[in-house]
Amino acid sequence: MALLELRNVKKIYDMGRDIQVEALKGVSFSIEEGSYTAIMGHSGSGKSTLLQIMGCLDRATDGDIIINGTAVKNMNDFQLARFRNKTIGFVFQSFNLIGNLSALENIELPMIYAGVPRVERRKRAMELLRIVGLEEPEERGHHRPNQLSGGQQQRVAIARALANDPAVILADEPTGNLAVNQWRRILDIFKKLNESGKTIIIVTHDPLVGEEATRTITLEDGSIVNDERTR
Amino acid sequence: MEILMEAFRSLGKDKVRTFLSMLGIVIGVIAVIVAIAIGAGTTKNVTARISSLGSNVIIVTPGFSGGFGGRTAAALTNVLQETDVQNIQNMAPDVADVTPILQKSFNVIYQATNTVVSVFGAYPDAFSILDLPIQYGRLITTKDEQNYANVAVIGNTIATTLFGNQNPVGQTVYITTGSFQVPFTIIGELQETGSKLTFNPDNMLMIPYTTASVKLIQLNGGVSQILASAKSANTALDAASEINNILYMRLQNANQYRLISQNQILSTVSQTTDVLTLLLASIAAISMVVGGIGIMNIMLVSVTERTKEIGVKMAMGATRRRIMAEFLVESMFITIVAGAIGIGFSFLIAMIVTYLASGLGLTVIITWPSIVLSFGVSVAIGLFFGLYPAYMASKKSPVEALRYE
Repeated sequence: MALLELRNVKKIYDMGRDIQVEALKGVSFSIEEGSYTAIMGHSGSGKSTLLQIMGCLDRATDGDIIINGTAVKNMNDFQLARFRNKTIGFVFQSFNLIGNLSALENIELPMIYAGVPRVERRKRAMELLRIVGLEEPEERGHHRPNQLSGGQQQRVAIARALANDPAVILADEPTGNLAVNQWRRILDIFKKLNESGKTIIIVTHDPLVGEEATRTITLEDGSIVNDERTR
Repeated sequence: MEILMEAFRSLGKDKVRTFLSMLGIVIGVIAVIVAIAIGAGTTKNVTARISSLGSNVIIVTPGFSGGFGGRTAAALTNVLQETDVQNIQNMAPDVADVTPILQKSFNVIYQATNTVVSVFGAYPDAFSILDLPIQYGRLITTKDEQNYANVAVIGNTIATTLFGNQNPVGQTVYITTGSFQVPFTIIGELQETGSKLTFNPDNMLMIPYTTASVKLIQLNGGVSQILASAKSANTALDAASEINNILYMRLQNANQYRLISQNQILSTVSQTTDVLTLLLASIAAISMVVGGIGIMNIMLVSVTERTKEIGVKMAMGATRRRIMAEFLVESMFITIVAGAIGIGFSFLIAMIVTYLASGLGLTVIITWPSIVLSFGVSVAIGLFFGLYPAYMASKKSPVEALRYE
């Protein structure tokens, strides 16, 4: 069964003065549970818009999105927030950790929103720091983001995305801001997560990142131009 | 709980800004509490002075006439008559004692010293009505009254002015009236009493009524004022209305005389001071509102600055309600802490004001209601002025918020 299904999804941005930009021109595909998909495309191809819509951050102008058996279309803002909290884990290019919270507290954030009790939260956050391989998690876990390197921050961000054991991890150029040696480690984490059964979708323009995935969907000008299974 | 911790963190991040945004509320709370405290202190002082008259004393004075079109109202003369005193004595069951008063200022001479003194001619009952204790010598008696005796009881301040530290009893002073000088023998000196509402016994020379009416203050049977006491404080109101009825029967015009009693003045004064306190407190409250607007400003800036953070939190699954709550808790945290600091400081300010103004007889009394009120208002301000920024935060689109740099 498909974990995520898009049927003829369109997104039109209204720029005012009757100027409309069609960012997605009817995109359809489905993503299997446990798969590792790369969505590739140049900037302006519509891949970021697609990620936002798959991540329930934005609504499609037309078409249906079914995630984990749930149609997203008719949900209100509150339901969408809840849905994001439980079902989707985001990893951003610029990490987006909250500056005045420690690494552990950042990881606990989605669990706070989910109402997980404090002790359990802290235990799970620590466990997640080990899963993503942060060195000396007992000590570094209490560091603020600005006391961590880019690679460390991104690992904390991945741990945060995993906090509520979401059905899918959505990563937006997760290696874009990293040095080469860190870049490799992050991709290894995604690979390991995928091997342990996590569904992963990475949006990138970098073919090297795309190579990691078992399937590559290429967007151009708001339409899918290529969809191939690489492994 | 997490919300509180988070609020504490983000406020702690920019301590100077947090402190400055608190300042308006702190000052406002101090102003409100101190203003009300000064009001309460003044009320207490004034009340104490009025109460010095005694709760059962009733003063009748002539009314005023004129006063229209810019003319000053003039006190009516010859309205109150000796016969009124007789009638009150005979017909008012709740009145204990009553005396006519003839009062006028005269030049009084002792040897080379002379001074202007308020000469006060009254029945001996006046001493008990006004509760005037003697320090040296004796009080005026009924016998002095019947004999038209030229005797006087001297007030404490005047005694010092005329006689210095010398005991005045037995000395003779001269009261100048027209071209005559009337000699009076001092038979007693009063203890210092302080002002008794409309009278200041410390500055008076008290002589028998008969002597005054014949030799000094001829009003053709008219009297300056009438002084009466009720049998008890409980019957003061009844006594006043009996006196009122008796006077109205003869004069048929309630504007021709006025009844002054402690209760009536107290209620007027408390109304006045209440209005004053309210005025002071509302001016102070305006500064709290200004402080609230400052907080709204800061919170709006903070919402804009943290747009990205809001976007991230939304992506992590924070509901709009949650985002709103986070910002509301922050603004309320600011005002609650500011309110508490303000309350603390107002005690300090009250002490300083009391110290500096001790010579002015200004009392500062911090009251519980003012603390509760100002604290409640600061909490309400945090809620009210935090609401709009918090709403703005919660209304952000997650996509746009995430894109914000």
